[in-house]
Amino acid sequence: MSLRQVRKTYDAQEIVHGVDLEVADQEFVVLVGPSGCGKSTLLRMIAGLEEISGGEIAIGERTVNEVDPKDRDVAMVFQDYALYPHLTVFQNIAFSLQYRNVGKAEIARRVAEVAAILDIEPLLERKPRQLSGGQRQRVAMGRAIVREPKVFLFDEPLSNLDAKLRVQMRTEIKKLRERVRTTAIYVTHDQVEAMTLADRIVLMHNGQVEQIGTPEDVYDEPATLFVAGFVGTSAMNLIQGRIEGGAVIFGDGARLVLPPSRYDAHAGKAVTIGLRPEHLHWAKDGDPNPLVGVARVVEPLGSDTLVVFDVAGCELQARLPPRVVRHAGEAVRVAVAPESIHLFDPATERRL
Amino acid sequence: MAARPSRPRLLLRHATLVAVSFVMLLPFYWVMKTAVTNENIYAYPPGIVPRDPHLFNFVDVWYLIPFPRYLLNSIVVSAIAVAGNVVLNAMAGYALTRQFPGRRAVLALFLSCMLIPFQATIIPAYLITAKMGLLNTYFGLAFPMLSTIICIFVFKAAFEAVPRSLIDAARLDGLSEWRIILRVLLPLSKPAIATNVILSFIWSWNNFLWPLLITRDPTMQTLPLGLARFLSYMEDTTGALYAFAVLVLAPSVLVFLMAQKEFIRGLTSGATKG
Repeated sequence: MSLRQVRKTYDAQEIVHGVDLEVADQEFVVLVGPSGCGKSTLLRMIAGLEEISGGEIAIGERTVNEVDPKDRDVAMVFQDYALYPHLTVFQNIAFSLQYRNVGKAEIARRVAEVAAILDIEPLLERKPRQLSGGQRQRVAMGRAIVREPKVFLFDEPLSNLDAKLRVQMRTEIKKLRERVRTTAIYVTHDQVEAMTLADRIVLMHNGQVEQIGTPEDVYDEPATLFVAGFVGTSAMNLIQGRIEGGAVIFGDGARLVLPPSRYDAHAGKAVTIGLRPEHLHWAKDGDPNPLVGVARVVEPLGSDTLVVFDVAGCELQARLPPRVVRHAGEAVRVAVAPESIHLFDPATERRL
Repeated sequence: MAARPSRPRLLLRHATLVAVSFVMLLPFYWVMKTAVTNENIYAYPPGIVPRDPHLFNFVDVWYLIPFPRYLLNSIVVSAIAVAGNVVLNAMAGYALTRQFPGRRAVLALFLSCMLIPFQATIIPAYLITAKMGLLNTYFGLAFPMLSTIICIFVFKAAFEAVPRSLIDAARLDGLSEWRIILRVLLPLSKPAIATNVILSFIWSWNNFLWPLLITRDPTMQTLPLGLARFLSYMEDTTGALYAFAVLVLAPSVLVFLMAQKEFIRGLTSGATKG
């Protein structure tokens, strides 16, 4: 599937600005970004539920700009599940097949098969209102799977579930992917969902693609300041600094050594420094780039502890092992490897 | 859930309801009673229990005038009107939930049409019906009642309450717009259908002026016209007239009760947490 310069304009205001995206066969692509970034609109344009103001969408070899939603061979899972309340689970799953000239026996066979995959066989005669949120979610997926479409579209399918169930269903979707290998586009605002499910992530912001890459790429080499701030369970520390002689200086004189010769071309330049809290580790003697400061806030999470501390007049957050810092006011000694320092141009907000 | 009210409060509430029901039901009871007793409404002393009830008045009504014919006419005309309302109003209501150029103008037009009483448009309506050759026909009798603006809005509101994603899902499932109305929206809008059925049936069943205007042939007349004719036949109007009234009322009460059941069911099933 491919999108070329896809645009959407509402009332003379462009909300999706020329998105380009190639999706390989059987690839699972996650569109992620804060609410209002245009990701759902983009998904609805792929489904054919919104008109395209400019550009081209092709599924397989076929341009589908003018093709009706029903003829695009896509199936969608909606945020609110969109199950027909007046039909049983069986009828809900079978509904679309009835309009596609599939025989009764074939429908029964396919519904049974999908029910087995999703483990919802005992629910087939129930109405949607008799199901729990997680069960409804499965039925909604069953309705999409039964059609055997070219592309699956997921519109924030887990956002109506409580936190625990969301994690469980996330794993289930991942398992399901191994059994049903089909191209899928998945929209979410949750970066954890994006990281765990995606073959490739498309990060969107203000109707524009900020970065496209594997979860590892996006995490290791965020292309822009926005991506740097969005990806990662605890937000990246972003501080202003300057490159000077193979190191970067910030605050009232703190100094971090950079990987040799990598940023030589930018010497003397003002930069935004990005440090992931999990890359600030407790310093041992001889570690490069030690930073010494005073803890301000200590948040024990059990498996590790988030510590907000002051260093050289800047506030940083570090994710440290439990019990190395217990109370605010204690001394903090962390270090960061030169390769883990991210530098961005403050003007263009792009990675150096 | 609200806390259960205390016992004296509950008693008070029921007493009020019983009193109001009594006031509402008494005239009906009186009509029934007079129909089976011939007792004049001014009879003294007034009695609640009917003395020597009989069904002769009903027999009179049935045979003195072509009552079965009027009944048939009324049923056919009302059935056409009800079918027309449910089908046309559902279509119009759905159209108004969609975005299209001139939608606001159409809405404004509909609303302003509601301000004009039927009596004001009855002459053009008559002329149009006559031009179409529908005078003295069942369809002609039902014609101006085939669609009602207020009932269009009932459907529009009901369809708007259906989540947008259901319609999107139906569209992806391969349904045409027609099938979306038929298979998704209407099954979810039973209260709106019931409202349409009740209102259009009652309006059509009780309509007097329009049938009076366009029927020449007495065999095409409906029950309200028959009632008027009957009035002019009978000297002592009480008993037989009341029997007639009972016979005219019965079907509409029946329709109301049947539709009301669906109405309440639709309401409560929508109210359960979804």
